[in-house]
Amino acid sequence: METSDSECFESADEEIYAENENKKSKKVAGSPPSKEIPCETEHISYLKTEETKNERTNILDSNLQVDEDKPTKIGLSNTNEPEVITDNNTSNIQEEDEVNMWDEDEDWEPVETKTEIKPSESPPLTINRIWGWDLSAMLNAATVGVTAVTTQVSQGLSNVLETGIGAPDPAELARRTTQEEHTHDAEITEPSTNSSTNLFGFGNLVSGVTQITKLVETTGNKVILGGLDTLETIGKKTMQVLQEGDPGLKKKRALLKIEGEKPVLSHILREAKEKAELENRLLEEQHFARKANYESLFDDHQGLVHLEALEMLSKQCSIKLERLIESQSGRELVELQETMNQIVELCELVDDDDELEDASEIKEKLDTAVSEMVINISYDKVLTTRKEAEQWLDNLHLGVCSELELHEQAIDTLAQLTALAVERYHKIGELLLIKEHRSTADEADSLVQVTTILTALIGNMATKFSNKLSEKLSDSTHKDHINTLITNVYFESANSTSYLKNAFQLLIPVLQVGAI
Amino acid sequence: MVEPIFDYQFRLILIGDSTVGKSSLLKYFTDGKFAELSDPTVGVDFFARLIEVKDGTRVKLQLWDTAGQERFRSITKSYYRNSVGALLVYDICNRASFEHIPLWMAEAKRHIEPHRPIFALVGCKLDLVSNGGHREVSKEEAKAFADQNGLHHIETSARKGTNVEEAFRSVTQEVYNRIQSGEYKVEDGWDGIKTGFTRPNGMDFNLIEAEPAKSSCC
Repeated sequence: METSDSECFESADEEIYAENENKKSKKVAGSPPSKEIPCETEHISYLKTEETKNERTNILDSNLQVDEDKPTKIGLSNTNEPEVITDNNTSNIQEEDEVNMWDEDEDWEPVETKTEIKPSESPPLTINRIWGWDLSAMLNAATVGVTAVTTQVSQGLSNVLETGIGAPDPAELARRTTQEEHTHDAEITEPSTNSSTNLFGFGNLVSGVTQITKLVETTGNKVILGGLDTLETIGKKTMQVLQEGDPGLKKKRALLKIEGEKPVLSHILREAKEKAELENRLLEEQHFARKANYESLFDDHQGLVHLEALEMLSKQCSIKLERLIESQSGRELVELQETMNQIVELCELVDDDDELEDASEIKEKLDTAVSEMVINISYDKVLTTRKEAEQWLDNLHLGVCSELELHEQAIDTLAQLTALAVERYHKIGELLLIKEHRSTADEADSLVQVTTILTALIGNMATKFSNKLSEKLSDSTHKDHINTLITNVYFESANSTSYLKNAFQLLIPVLQVGAI
Repeated sequence: MVEPIFDYQFRLILIGDSTVGKSSLLKYFTDGKFAELSDPTVGVDFFARLIEVKDGTRVKLQLWDTAGQERFRSITKSYYRNSVGALLVYDICNRASFEHIPLWMAEAKRHIEPHRPIFALVGCKLDLVSNGGHREVSKEEAKAFADQNGLHHIETSARKGTNVEEAFRSVTQEVYNRIQSGEYKVEDGWDGIKTGFTRPNGMDFNLIEAEPAKSSCC
């Protein structure tokens, strides 16, 4: 919330924007000692954004609280900050904590001295409130100034002012916040060791500070007095702009927010465009993802519902068997359980790496296997689908077909073949249940063969598609992408196989029911 | 063939005597075609179609086409449980098929319990009557039975497509109404009603909605 609010706020008015920029730059100079004055622009900009946020909150707060006549805290130390900031913004809190940590630093003497100087100057009430933050920051700046050149502070301000313009991008802001955290962490540990290899030159800085504490006191005064004038101007101007068309700022923050949105149509449009582009891209990706989503395709080909129906059938049979087993006892029970176990054993699949040759051989094998069940069931649909996929692959021009399309076709073929096969298992279950003379052993044997053939068929199909995808590898720049797709094809092929084995397992109770 | 996105999935089951025209009704409803000859259904077959209810909600109908043949009776009863609606189908020109409707209904009620499905009474082969065939079940009689049992009644022709859409639409709307009123709920472990894939936001994305202040990120 904070980010977007402040963004609106910021762009609400050109003047406010400019003023903010001014303040931002002050802030930069006045940031904690770790941020040395001769800092790089990048360093500056992120500090700036961080602090600007706090600043704005303060401005808002002070506006809202003017009437309450709360005691103003001028030049107060940072420990008072939590009262000023009402927003539960985490980054604000972080900031406070961090600053407080600095306060507790033993080497941080100068801050205390400066703090006492402040109340002597008593600028207008509202502005003082704004300063509550600024001044403490300025104090920090004072110390920084010691190590650098004191006079550079004010000069540096104007430099930064010119370079540091540009609204912070929320994402960037977030990134920087984390960055800053890290930076702080690093800095906090460094001083204690007082290492000379300090990345940030902070060790030197600290020693510098202690050495010239007295110098700080005198030069610090100068800086603050000079900076106060600028700050006062900024504060006044800001208030002036803020009160335009809203005298006394009686409208609450919510209203301010809304007002802020109005003038930035271009901003809104730009964001809208970006959002739309993102949405479109997501939609496109989703489209592809869904198109190549095995489960959805398996469902589309009615595989899921047949599997579910098969489960119902299987459960029905299991219940029947359980009732039977419960009603039996003694030798009969033992015999019955033996029979049940024998059937389970008959249904064990052996790993058979038989290579599938041509279509006619597959058909022949399947027909032979199925005939043992003595039911009217044909695998023509499965075989036709397989044949069509093979033809599709034969006629494929790799140049025209993208790897995504190829992958999509592969997944669809696997899903369809599996769905058809599962449907067959379901039908077999139904037909076996209404079959008059059951021959459980033959049925089990037949199903083992059929399952072996079907899993080989599907594995074979996956290999063919993968080979095609591999052919694309040589002249593609997205090798990783293609490899991912190939892996996915093999993965879904394994998935298909487990669907088939699962379907076969579901038929075991159907076979067992036939044996009693 | 990728299925469009839907908000709900309802499972409807078609029951009734053999050869009354359940599969033909479904074929016309899902395919827009009428098959002069078709094999008797083995166990159960499945059809699916997406339709929109009055407020534009998209509903995928998963249609369970059961075998009417007596020999499958013990199997088909396993399939009732997860249905939210049941179409009781009879042949207008076959008196017996109408007389069996109370049995079908009792059977369905028994197996769907504790859930209470929506029933609809659907007469088939209306085209035969207008083609000089012999009507064995009067519209009034069927209507009276339907009213008595709180069913929606409709006479259809899969050959001509008469009222086919309406037969399914009325049941779907009624199920949806009951979801709206809170009588029906999506429940774990019961597949009569399921929620589907929701449409991604931004499908009808417009600029006004792009209020930066509303994009909360913290």
